[in-house]
Parts: sequence; structure tokens; C-alpha cells
Amino acid sequence: MDLGVGEVGTPGNSKPHQPSGQISHLALDIGGSLIKLVYFSTYDDVDDETGRSATESLSVYNGNKKYPALKGRLHFAKFETTKINDCLEFIQKNQLHLGGCQHLQSSPIDKTVIKATGGGAYKYADLFEEKLGICLDKEDEMDCLVAGANFLLKGIHQEAFTYMDGQKEFVQIDHNDLYPYLLVNIGSGVSMLKVDGDGKFERVSGTNVGGGTFWGLGRLLTNSKSFDELLELSHKGNNRVIDMLVGDIYGGMDYSKIGLSSTTIASSFGKAISDSKELADYRPEDIARSLLRMISNNIGQISYLNALRFGLKRIFFGGFFIRGHAYTMDTIAVAVHFWSKGEAKAMFLRHEGFLGASGAFRSYGKRGLDDLMLQLIQQFPFTASPAGDI
Amino acid sequence: MAGLTEDPELGINDIKEETERNNKRIDKKVGVVAEESVQGEREMAPPAGGLIHRSGSRPQLDLSKAAIQGNFEERNPTILLPNQSDDISHLALDIGGSLIKLVYFSRHEDQSIRKKTVKERLGISNGNRRSYPILGGRLHFVKFETSKINDCLDFIYSKQLHRGGMDARWHSELPANENTVIKATGGGAYKFADLFKERLGVSLDKEDEMNCLVAGANFLLKAIRHEAFTHMEGHKEFVQIDHNELFPYLLVNVGSGVSMIKVDGDGKFQRVSGTNVGGGTYWGLGRLLTKCKSFDDLLELSQRGNNRTIDMLVGDIYGGMDYSKIGLSASTIASSFGKAISDNKELEDYRPEDISLSLLRMISYNIGQISYLNALLFGIKRIFFGGFFIRGHAYTMDTISFAVHFWSKGEAQAMFLRHEGFLGALGAFMSYEKHGLDDLMAHQLVERFPMGAPYTGGKIHGPPLGDLNEKISWMEKFLQKGTEITAPVPMAPPGTTGLGGFEVPSSKGGTLRSDASALNVGVLHLVPSLEVFPLLADPKTYEPNTIDLSDHSEFEYWFTVLSEHLQDLVDKAVASEGGTDDAKRRGDAFARAFSAHLARLLEEPAAYGKLGLANLLELREECLREFQFVDAYRSIKQRENEASLAVLPDLLIELDSMSEETRLLTLIEGVLAANIFDWGARACVDLYHKGTIIEIYRMSRNKMQRPWRVDDFDVFKERMLGSGDKKPPPHRRALLFVDNAGADVVLGMLPLARELLRRGTEVVLVANSLPALNDVTAMELPEIVAEAAKHCDILRRAAEAGGLLVDAMINTLDGYKENSSSVPLMVVENGCGSPCIDLRQVSSELAAAAKDADLIILEGMGRALHTNFNGRFKCDALKLAMVKNQRLAEKLINGNIYDCVCRYEPLR
Repeated sequence: MDLGVGEVGTPGNSKPHQPSGQISHLALDIGGSLIKLVYFSTYDDVDDETGRSATESLSVYNGNKKYPALKGRLHFAKFETTKINDCLEFIQKNQLHLGGCQHLQSSPIDKTVIKATGGGAYKYADLFEEKLGICLDKEDEMDCLVAGANFLLKGIHQEAFTYMDGQKEFVQIDHNDLYPYLLVNIGSGVSMLKVDGDGKFERVSGTNVGGGTFWGLGRLLTNSKSFDELLELSHKGNNRVIDMLVGDIYGGMDYSKIGLSSTTIASSFGKAISDSKELADYRPEDIARSLLRMISNNIGQISYLNALRFGLKRIFFGGFFIRGHAYTMDTIAVAVHFWSKGEAKAMFLRHEGFLGASGAFRSYGKRGLDDLMLQLIQQFPFTASPAGDI
Repeated sequence: MAGLTEDPELGINDIKEETERNNKRIDKKVGVVAEESVQGEREMAPPAGGLIHRSGSRPQLDLSKAAIQGNFEERNPTILLPNQSDDISHLALDIGGSLIKLVYFSRHEDQSIRKKTVKERLGISNGNRRSYPILGGRLHFVKFETSKINDCLDFIYSKQLHRGGMDARWHSELPANENTVIKATGGGAYKFADLFKERLGVSLDKEDEMNCLVAGANFLLKAIRHEAFTHMEGHKEFVQIDHNELFPYLLVNVGSGVSMIKVDGDGKFQRVSGTNVGGGTYWGLGRLLTKCKSFDDLLELSQRGNNRTIDMLVGDIYGGMDYSKIGLSASTIASSFGKAISDNKELEDYRPEDISLSLLRMISYNIGQISYLNALLFGIKRIFFGGFFIRGHAYTMDTISFAVHFWSKGEAQAMFLRHEGFLGALGAFMSYEKHGLDDLMAHQLVERFPMGAPYTGGKIHGPPLGDLNEKISWMEKFLQKGTEITAPVPMAPPGTTGLGGFEVPSSKGGTLRSDASALNVGVLHLVPSLEVFPLLADPKTYEPNTIDLSDHSEFEYWFTVLSEHLQDLVDKAVASEGGTDDAKRRGDAFARAFSAHLARLLEEPAAYGKLGLANLLELREECLREFQFVDAYRSIKQRENEASLAVLPDLLIELDSMSEETRLLTLIEGVLAANIFDWGARACVDLYHKGTIIEIYRMSRNKMQRPWRVDDFDVFKERMLGSGDKKPPPHRRALLFVDNAGADVVLGMLPLARELLRRGTEVVLVANSLPALNDVTAMELPEIVAEAAKHCDILRRAAEAGGLLVDAMINTLDGYKENSSSVPLMVVENGCGSPCIDLRQVSSELAAAAKDADLIILEGMGRALHTNFNGRFKCDALKLAMVKNQRLAEKLINGNIYDCVCRYEPLR
């Protein structure tokens, strides 16, 4: 099985791939290239502080309704969307769909409903129905993203950080001063959302030049087998071989009159036109690097222009394209810095890959889950790549 | 002759010419023109035939000019080329990575020779008007591929452009000066500087690229009407931009990279943004992915591509459904190249066509979006896109427009420029200190599309063509071979091949040339003496054409009409030159050239800019002149003039026997009836076979049944004659725009003019500067008037007062009285050589004559219906015409063929 499963569990759990307890909630984010799963499994052997505190936190009243106490593990998994059958198999095998939204009053005969978001929630609804007999309850993608981001930004200390010249710097954000912000979700494509509060947001822009473009063009140009391999290549590349720099045009001189230094990229891939070289004559590393810079720079620029347009001070970047990849973050940060003349800063989220799935999970509407997630995450913070990479 | 005596040298020429008979004069002129084309500059544009000479009402000016051309060694250069030493280098270059663009200027030969006689007679001096520091001439636009830079050097050398063109060659025997400096911009201005020095001995003076771009764009947007156009879903629409509202605008230059420039005025601009994803990215990535050998090949591939195989669309993610909540349709691209990740395909498994299209959409869309965001930030409404990436490519323009439209929700508009490839070169040209074009106005420019235009689209293929013979050979060879450049094939109308919406390039089609939608760039004729007709009520909103040919069915109709009429026209033209073998050969070449123009326009109606019927009819006349058919209807006109003049005395006697009221009606009826004689109307050509001119005229007049289809006669009569005892004052001066030679002018307009004169109104007959069909010209009118005056005192005295009879009655000059008892009858040329008239560009004589006029009478289909039917004036206007075309009758007046229009629009 070519997939990775990551999870956050209470300490002592030694078998992350085999949820032992009852599955109670599964939420899906089915994107154009990746399927993200978030599911929660309960187990009874709570014997440490964390477990207790989790239990405690879950006995909070929410309105008139008291939720049943939950304790257990929150799992995160990713599949390539093209390998959706692997995903279905995984769900089937682990009986994740049976633990779906089981209301106390519901009879077992009732159709199980799973919260899902992302375009695939529509596209693959029939497939889920057919294969697993479950109904996907489509949650709006943007709703989920925003809910996920708000949840993380408010709930987690040091969730956001800036990245410049290889230096990560965590930013403490005052909850009261969080809104409005621009959320840039870089998936296959890019969505730019102006967020004004919980559930208050608007998709103000986007671009079709996103992670899918990087990967798609990169595959065609370099034969990389995976997104990560392509990213890896870009580390070792030198974009000057392929990009036309201002210096190439002005004979090594700056075009300082308009504020362009000689190393500014004048035209991405612009050197590929004048050379008599073929594709095979270029190093894949250099191609990957040029591509990454082109796309990151472009996203950074369009994001900055939108932030400027709405007077937004903060831009948060998320989505699978980022993946905590240093150079990607660096190029985006540089682009924002360049276009804003240092006025604006690009920020990133530690849990960026799971905004949508977290949001869908939250949409079960049970306050207890939020608290549980918060606690789990806060106490066992993800590293840059919490779920195993594909 | 008062005006002529100012320039004795000229006077001699003129008088010599005047002693000759009219037809001989024209013969001579043909000979001289041919001579000129050998000695004159070698170029594809027509030599003298294409010029419109701004002269007095006299025919002689043309000849004097030709004579001077033929005897250039004798003339006084200080008169003819007063600023010659100042403007040797009228060549500018923009040497880009893929194309070299040349802009060069060739002067009209005789701009410094002007006769002021008419103006003086009209009592109008130049006043404080500039004494023409702008030199008349032509601005040429030529492209070469940078890789074929030697062709470009040869071209420059053969035309001696680096030495100031032919003017300099005539004028001085000096070798190319050591310090000859040519303005140049673009990266190649550095790279090829040595080559230019070595081959041509010139230094390239490098001008800043941005400065040039902005200067070029400002010039085009201010000087050329309808330079800008929008492009949505394959449909081009030309936009006229008020100069006062031009700034600020965003100029997006898409070269290898993209620069976005906020332009606030002349020389006032700032580079506000840009993107590194530009034309170089398209070409660079495209080469790597498709192995295309050239940018054009890559673009052409995209025409046949389908980006859905590679791009991930919203529909791919949402299972074919729209994500309508956020305004994304299923076919919106969610992720460019996004499908290339999920498939197990390799690069070889994708069609290069699809890759090219995906790439094109990705980049165009991105440029459109970033441009819009910048426009928004600076509160700019208009975004002009230019640069080599655009290249008139329909799909690129559509994609950019779509992006701007989409992101701005229709608030902002993407616009493109017809001369977009030449911004830099034009700007470099403008950087010469003494080009004299700073204040050039739109009305002083006339764009002409010479013979090669339909094929080359502004590019030069092969050697520069010199004399007529080379042109004809080229045309013959070209049509036979047709290999290098595909001869245009009429295609399905644009805008109808798309599957709706934006999804499929509407310009798609395997047989279309990739540059089919690229617009042709003609030669800009600078005619400083052209002016806006001062009596237009609102020159800004004035649109001459009644028929807009951007409506494809309309164009198709006129295409058929003109195609069917072509053979007849060629026969007339050949016969007018004695039916010689040479004339036949020229006739064939003309037919081919004009058919090619038509085919090109059928393929892309916007190819030559905003196209109205008037432009099309003028194009035909220009094309005839290019092949040196000076006056195809000459003998027909002469015959008809003679026949009509013979019966004029009887008609005048008949009119004089009538009461004032009956006479006025009869006169208007007469104008309408006589307007039936029109060689431009198929229906009327058939009539000619049915009887003599006079028989037809009488028949036509007898059929005049009021009310006419448009009948304002009673209002007009009220203004003229008043009612009861109240006699309104006569008009001070009337301008009569005349139409056809023969009965139309002799039996129709001349008697009407006579009536006005009799009532004390000065009359100015306004006629064509150059022949068009059987329209009477300003050159022919004085003779007709002189002949008519022999039998009519009113006409004679008025013509004398107007100085029209000077030539014919040269011996009676002593008897000429300054305080003649009659108001004058005058003739002025209108400044054009078309059956229609665009009143934004008329001769300065006409403009001067108009200043005191309070009545204009437009007569005939061309001037009163095809154009100006909806025109409004600052004085009383009478429009008279018989409709000799069923379609036009239905469309315009909801009537039938032979219906009449008498539209009177008094000044309110």
C-alpha cells in the first residue's frame, strides 16, 4: 500500500496503523490530487494525565446538549486522488465508515453519513455510495478551509510563522487582532480568501497556477515520480541556467531606473528560447528550480496584490504545495517582500495540510471535538510533516 | 492667377499645362507618374497615385507637382525641401529578440507648394495657423525576423533609408555622413550596433525601451482613430478614445517578461509592476515541451489544441458541476497542467497542440489577472496590452480579455492596439527632435493598404518592390505560386465557430493561418492640410459610415456586390487607357489585388481596422490608382457631360418659365431624378442600355411622385420661400457636395446652384480631389461650369465672381470687376478620392469655405446615404439622393429601390 498514515494519539499508542478502539468520526477532504482523511478513534484505556484532561474537557456543556465523553486518537491520512481505490480499501478495511456520524438515536439501518469536502466529495459521491454504502455529506470547501484555519490560528500557540532566508520565526497573533486576513490555499489551484471572522469570509481571488501546475509541468519536464522528488530536485538546481534575468538582457547591468536588479528574473524559462538546447540538455534540477520559483513568485505576487487591494496586513499561506518545504516558503516570502517593498510578510501555518479536513471534521458541529482536537494537537504538536508523505 | 504669381517657377509650369486640352493633360500626367515611380522612392506603396494632393480647386496643381518631380534637378530645393537638412534620418528601429521593426517616413513631395487662391478669394487667411512645420508624407511600418537581419539591412540600403531616403539622395551627392545616427531601441540596438556601423556606416542611438513604448502608445492612441480595440470571444470591436480621457492608462507590454506601466501623460509614466511569466516563458517552456522551432509554430499549434486534456478544470474536480457558489464554472481552469500529475502519461503521450494551448491559457490568463489587479490598485479603467507575445493572436487576446473581464466583473476592459508590434519603433521615431509629429492630429492621417497588405500583413517578404512592373509581376507570380504565404481563403465568419463562451478558441480552424486574426498594418499617410469639417455638430461622436461592415452578413452582401461589379470596372479601366496590352495586364493585376483585399477582409473584417462601406469603396479606388488607372470613367464622364450640357439651355428656359414655388420643387425633383445616373449602382448601369441620357432623365423626373420616401421638402421650401408675406433672408453661403458627372451634376445640381445664386446665396461646389467611379472631380468642374456659363448669365457672372472663368476667358481678364454684381460661384476640392466622404478629413480649402456657410447640400448615395445620413451639422443641411440599391432602401428608409430621400435638417 503506497500510502502513509500519520496520526496523533495519546502516548503509549504503539500501533498507529491499526485503530484499536471504536471509530467515531471520519471526515474527508478530497482534492484534485490528494485525499486527506481525519478520523477519530476512541479507546478506553486512558490512564495518564492527557487522557484525563481530555475527558475533562469533553464534559463541557454546550447549550442544552451534553456530548458524550470522548477520548482517543485523531488520525490523519493522505492518499493520492488517482488512487482513490486504495483509500476506499483503507476505509473498508478499518471500518472507518461504520464509525461515522452515529447519533445516539440513530438506528444502525440508517444510512451512514460522512462529512466530506473538496471537489471530490461531489465527484466520488457515487463511488462511496456504491463501494461503502455511505453517503457523503458535502461540506463547502471554503467553509472548511476557513474553519480549519480559524481553529488553528486561534487555538494553537505558535501556529503561524514567517520564513525568510531559511529562518523560521514564530509569530504570536493576538486573537482579537486576527481578522481580517488573507488565506491563500495552494492546492492544485490556488484560492485566496479574505477572512473576516468565524464563518465570515469571501473568496476574493485565486489562480490556476498552483501546486498542480508545479507538479504537472514538473512531471512532464523532469520525469520526477513524485511531488516530493520534484521538490527535492529543486533544492539542487540553479534557475539562472533557464530563466532570463534582467542582467542577461542588460548585459549584466541593473536596470536600476525601474528598480530591477540584475538577478531579478525577467522571464521565467526565457533562456530556453534563445539556446539551441533541447529539453534533454537541461538538468532536471535546474528545471525544477525555475518552475518552483516561477510558481511561488507568481502566487506571492497575486496574493500581495489582493492583500493590498483589501488592506489586509497578514497573508497566510497553506495547502499541499507548501508542505513545509523551505525553498517554497522562501520564494513565496521573497515575492511578497519584493512586491510589497517589505511592507507585507508571508506567513505559514504549521498544520497547513489539514485545514480542509479539520474544517470538515469540525462541521460535525460538536464542540467537544474542537476541544479534543485542540488539546491533542497542542500537546503533541505536529512536526512539519505530520502525516507520512506520499 | 494671383496666387500663382507668388511662385513664378510654378506659374510657368501651370500655364504651360493649362494650354493643353484636358484629356491630353491627363495623358501627360500618366506618363509623368510612371516616370516618377522609377525615379521616386522604391516601395510597395503606390507612388503618386496614392497621394491626395491638397491643392486649390484647380486641376493644375497635380501637374505642377508631377512636372517638378520629373525635372527635379531644376527646381529650387529651398522651396521644395525647406527643412531637408534637419530631417535626414527618418528611420527608427526596434530590434527585438525575434523581430526587427522599422518605422520610416517618406515625405510627400510637394507639401511646400500650396496655392492659396481659393482661400484668398474666400477672404480667409491662414491667420495664426501653423505654417505646416509638419511635413506631409507617409509613415511606413515594416517587420523583419531578427534572424534575417541581413534582409533588413538590404532593405534599408536599397531604399537609402539610412541617408534620409530618396529625398536626400536627390538632394545631395554627399556620401553617408560619418555621424549619421539612427534612433533604435530594443535589446538588439546594443547587440547589432557594430553590424549597422559596418554595413551601413550608421551609428545606432539607443533610446530607452520604456520611453519608446510609452511615446509610441501615446502617439498611436492620440493620432489614430480606432487604434484600440477590444477582443472578446473572437469578436473585435474598435474603440474611439477621447484624448481628454486617455490618461491614466495601464500599458502592459508582454515581451519575454511583462512590464506594467502606468501612463499619466506624455513622457509621464511609471513602471508599477510586471511579471516574469511572459512571452519568454511561453516560448521557452513551449520549446522544451513541444520541440517547436519557432514562436509562431508554437502559437499555430495552440490553434488546434484542447487544453482539457492537460488542465484540471473545476468540472474535473467537481464531477462536471460548477462551483457556482464562488462563481466558477465547470470549465474554469482550476489548475493549469493539473491533469499531468494524475495520469500515468509521459510527455510523449500528450499532443503538442494541447500542451501549447494549456501553456498559452495559463500565461495569458495570469497576465490578464495581474494587470487587472494593478489597474484596480491605481484606479485605472483601461488596460492596453501590447508586445510580441500578443501578436494579434486571437486566442491570446481572448484569454487576456476574459481574465480581465472575469476578475473585474466587467468593470475593466482589456484593449489591444492595431499597431501593437510597432510601439517601440514608433517611440524611437518620436525621439527624433525634429520629426514634427508631436501635434499631429487624427484627422491628418489617412491609412492606406497597398497591394501587398492582404498577403504580408505588414511583413516584408522578399525584396522591396520598386516600379509598377515589379508589383504586377509579384502579383502574378504570387497568385500562381502561393507557397510562401498562403493565399487567403475565405473562412466561416469569425465569432461563429466557437462552441459558445470562452471555452473553445473562436479563431479555431485547421485551415486558418495562425496570424489570420493578426491585423494588417497599412501605410500612414500624413496629410497636414486635412482638417475636420468645421460644421460637424459634434466631431467626437460623428461616425461617417451608415453601414457598419463588422456585421458579417452586411459585409458578405457588399463583398458580392463589389465582386460582381469588378469585371465591369476592369473593362472600363482598361478601355479608359486605350485597351492596350499594358493596360490589360495592369487591369488583371488590379483585379487580383482587389480580390485579395476582399478575401482578406472576408476572412477578418477587422484586418484593416474599423471597416465601413466608405472605407471599402475607397480601398477600391486606391487600388485602381495603385495600378495607375488614373480615371477609369474618364471617357464616359466626358461623353455624359457633353450630352447633358447640350440640353441644359432648354432645361434652364423651362425652369425660368415657372413660378418660384414650382421651380423650387422642380429643381429638387431634378436633382433626385438626375441622381439616377450612377455607374456605381448596378441597377442603373442596366438603365443605360435602355435609352439616351436625356430620355432616362425625363422619364426619371416624370416618375417623381411626392411624397418621396423621406420628404422634408415642405420644411425646406418654407425656409427658402417663407409663407405669405414673410420672406426669409437667403442663405449666406451654400456648400453643394456634388456626386456624379453628366446629368447628375449638369442637369441636377447646377440648376439648383443657379437658383441659390439667383437668390443671393454664395455657392461653393464641393467635388472630389481624385476620381472615384463616375463622380465629377474638382478638376473637371470649372470646365463644366464654363461651358454652362456660355448659355447662362447668372452662372457666368457668378463664375466670374468666383474666379472660375479665369482660364476659359483669359482674354476678358481686363473686364473682371472686383465689385461684380453677382455673388460668387466657387469650386473646392473635398480632399478625398472616394465615392463617399468622411467629414473628419477634408481639405483645408473646404474647411475654410465652410466657415461662412449656413447651408450644406449633400447629394447622392455615397455622400448622403452611405455616409453622413446620420450626420448632424451646425447649419441647415439638405440630403438628397435616389436609392439605387434594394437592400439599402429596405434597411435605411424601409422603402424600395428608386425611392427618394429629401431630408432637411434645419439648424435648431
